[in-house]
Amino acid sequence: MPTTRASPSSELGAGGRAATAAPARPAARAHRRILVGRKLAPYVFLAPFLLLFAGFLIAPLLYAFQMSLFRETLVGGARFVGLDNYVRAIHDGSFWDGVGRLLQFGLMQIPVMLGLALVFALILDSGLVLARGFFRVAFFIPYAVPGVIAALLWGYLYGPAFGPFSQMSEAMGFGRIDFLSGGGLLPSLANIAVWEYMGYNMIIYYAALQSVPRDLEEASAIDGATPLQHSLRIKLPLIVPTIIVTVIFSIIGTLQLFTEPYLMRNLAPSQINSHYTPNYYAYTLAFTSQQYNYSAAISFALGAVVAVASYGFMLLANRGGRR
Amino acid sequence: MAGLPAVARAQDKVELLFWAWTPDTQTQVDLFQKKYPGISVKLENVGQGPPHYVKLRNAIKAGSGLPDVAQMEFNSIASFKQLGVLADLAPYGVGDVGPKFIDWTWKSVTDNSGKIYAVPWDSGPMGLLYRADVFDKNGLSVPETWDDYAEQAIKLKDKAPGTFMCDFGASDAGWVCAVLWQAGWRPFHLDGTNLKIAINDDIAKKWATYWQKLIDAKAIDVKPMWTTEWFAGLDAGTYASWVTAAWAPVLMQQSMKKSFGQWRAAPMPQWEKGGKITSNWGGSTFAAFTASKHPKEAALFCQFMGADPEASKLWNTKQFLFPVLKDLIDDKELMGHGYDFYGGQKVNEIFAISENQVDPSFEFAPFQDYVNQQLQDEMASAIAGNGTLAQAFDRVQDTVVSYANDQGFTVL
Amino acid sequence: MTIAARTVHSAAFRRQRWLLTAVLGIYFVYTFIPLLYVIVSATKTNADLFGTFGLWFAGDFAFWENLRGLFTYQDGAFSGWLLNTFLYAAVSGLGAAFFATCAGYAFAKYQFRGKKLCFALVLGAVMIPQTALSVPLFLMLSKIGLVNTPAAVILPSLVFPPGVFLMCVYIQDAVSNELIEAGRVDGAGELHIFGRIAFRLLMPGFATVLILAFVSTWNNYFLPLVMLSSSEYFPITVGLSQWYASATSGSGGTVLFTIVMAGALVSVLPVIAAFLFMQRWWQGGLASGGVKA
Repeated sequence: MPTTRASPSSELGAGGRAATAAPARPAARAHRRILVGRKLAPYVFLAPFLLLFAGFLIAPLLYAFQMSLFRETLVGGARFVGLDNYVRAIHDGSFWDGVGRLLQFGLMQIPVMLGLALVFALILDSGLVLARGFFRVAFFIPYAVPGVIAALLWGYLYGPAFGPFSQMSEAMGFGRIDFLSGGGLLPSLANIAVWEYMGYNMIIYYAALQSVPRDLEEASAIDGATPLQHSLRIKLPLIVPTIIVTVIFSIIGTLQLFTEPYLMRNLAPSQINSHYTPNYYAYTLAFTSQQYNYSAAISFALGAVVAVASYGFMLLANRGGRR
Repeated sequence: MAGLPAVARAQDKVELLFWAWTPDTQTQVDLFQKKYPGISVKLENVGQGPPHYVKLRNAIKAGSGLPDVAQMEFNSIASFKQLGVLADLAPYGVGDVGPKFIDWTWKSVTDNSGKIYAVPWDSGPMGLLYRADVFDKNGLSVPETWDDYAEQAIKLKDKAPGTFMCDFGASDAGWVCAVLWQAGWRPFHLDGTNLKIAINDDIAKKWATYWQKLIDAKAIDVKPMWTTEWFAGLDAGTYASWVTAAWAPVLMQQSMKKSFGQWRAAPMPQWEKGGKITSNWGGSTFAAFTASKHPKEAALFCQFMGADPEASKLWNTKQFLFPVLKDLIDDKELMGHGYDFYGGQKVNEIFAISENQVDPSFEFAPFQDYVNQQLQDEMASAIAGNGTLAQAFDRVQDTVVSYANDQGFTVL
Repeated sequence: MTIAARTVHSAAFRRQRWLLTAVLGIYFVYTFIPLLYVIVSATKTNADLFGTFGLWFAGDFAFWENLRGLFTYQDGAFSGWLLNTFLYAAVSGLGAAFFATCAGYAFAKYQFRGKKLCFALVLGAVMIPQTALSVPLFLMLSKIGLVNTPAAVILPSLVFPPGVFLMCVYIQDAVSNELIEAGRVDGAGELHIFGRIAFRLLMPGFATVLILAFVSTWNNYFLPLVMLSSSEYFPITVGLSQWYASATSGSGGTVLFTIVMAGALVSVLPVIAAFLFMQRWWQGGLASGGVKA
């Protein structure tokens, strides 16, 4: 971390009010009771989150894991099968097809989405454009649109006979476009994901950029840097940790893709079958085939794949950072 | 109840929980509560179709939270019977109303042992809706047999490329099962834990070949149903007909404007000339659960909602459900309403005749959701070019047999 | 003053400004087209929805009718759903952001036994898809009788791991160690330092996580779908999707698409409002050297 942060001006709080008190009067020191010492503090801060986390994430996970070690059938009840379900998952072509598909999807979607988010965040943060507030809200709105209408909405936009883009293409002599068939399906779904989540990530980057101290900017100006140079050379490197967090969560989100295939299923049934993505596969196993145990095993198997991908990325990022 | 103190009577008030999604069901629930003031019924819509069944299954797994009575489509009865959660209504005298119902509907809710698992609510006998304007323009005649239908389809394709006789409904397993049902397909028979599975039998193959021919000739479209494109296509005249159920006319009226007055109804095409066999798509029943603390009241409720003359007439006139009671089907006035959307035709008459022709011997699987999913997946795959429809049936047979064995059934 | 403000009068600056604004404008058109479909559809009747060009209005302007239908259908269930959604999103959003901030602070500013383990655990648990959790969570909550209550939706939504990591990263930079040390030297307790000193510096990050958690709960469909079986507790997502599905239900099917579109529009408005409200915490200069203009 650059040492410029130690400068006194960066310790000023909102509205320029000094957050650090002048050296305290001895009398005041004696009156302050320290409830939570330094050693205990981190645990106290962590506790509320960790308790909820344990109750609502870890506990069901353990339960699910237990479920994955059993097999319950319509005729004959449940019995313990150990790691059988996992062996089955490893050999399950539907599972690996889904993983492969999502890796392709991720390679398409994540760089575009995060790239746009970063560029737009930098542009908005630079203060150069008009109507910043308007663009900020506007780009965020897609994230707020309820998924329930996605099928109607994208079914229309992507429609080969009645959709506007296909109709335009036909009018211009290029013939109809069937967005949801064959090779076009994955990019079309990726497009939906970019449209939905770009704003979400942009806001994260924007907040991070906004927290970079202004005095750095003055230093750059004195050095004769343009806003562009300042953004790219100074600010961007400072928000790399934030970028890493968003990349990891994008990887996780992509590999766990569920909502888009679930909502779009009826639009492209020849392509989006019940095991299009591993997470969707786990869902149909549980709720259509009533194979809850195998579904749990698939979910954990997917978790393992996600872990490999995420930690792999973090290793790469670390190595890249340590030049 | 004479002589009972008021306090005791208040304590006697029974509360039933009823899960159903059909709109405005509260009307009939209110009628019931008026007639039986000692029973109060809370109606909840917990989702339509799949989410409703997911919630039921979750509640069954958790051992709590099940309603007393729930809407149960005909095709799901076997599945919940398999889970052992459907209450037998026979001990409560529900058998008395049996004869009032159309035979195939009553047969679908009972079994040979005399148990009654549900009371029929509404149905979806099959027929044919077609565009009179498209037919006239292209010189088509209303087909009476499937061979005829295929001929007209090819004729239409030649005369008006881009206009199809229909859209192939493979994206909806309900449609697939209904049309196969009419052809004589009987894929499942359960006896104890012995399950006969014949998904890819000759009838299925014959049916598959028939539709494959039309698909290959591009005489029919293969788009998914229930999408924006599909609704638009029906309205615009891209599809000249729709082989569909009795609830479709009302649905189309609500969602189409351009084709107002151009649609007509006709009987479902037959495989044999002069045949009089049809099938059913959709339709629900009222089912009570063994977990209910008030089985007698639950049975009474089911019986009322399905068979009470006033309530059942309302189902038809208010919610436009297609009836399952003989009295209503035979009611000329009820079935004789002419609809402007259909050029003044009394469409319900056609479907009323169909109702009496539904073959009662069809049996759904004790895991119909899984079967539906497999059918949809494999047929979609075939349409995308991965083999023929006939081969799709072979694949479904394999996976379903494997699943059934997995689940502990003895597959015959 | 920002560098931008300094150079406000140069021609190059003005060219840059228009260029960049145009770039944003182009993306705005891309963002807006799907929204246009929603807006326009909400003004149509169902019969027109599929028969007219989707991105422009039809002859019959039915927006007010659809709005009225939206708020009166099913005895006005939608208003209740709107309130529910707001309750769930606000409580979960505030709670999640607060707990994530505290946890992020712990990770960012302290070294302690088990830190690495906790970190790995939180990150690792997120990697397993939530679909695996829904049935177990349902069964567990069912045992303690919390199923079909608002708590069943709110409590799990208070856990927002991405918020923890975002705040951790944010706090590392926004709150300097020197500041904390100075506080300690003054004899302030850890809680005091966090609440009085650090928190003010965290506000932009907190506001960000708050809005993200708020919208995430607002849009959550799957959790309430599994947990709730009484219409009075439904959020908008579950309610609207029920109405949407009602067209495809076969018997008794009622086409409600345009009302659902109107509902989608209405449901976006509170989110926009919350967003605009949160924006003031993002005004530049908050976390760093005041405005010296």
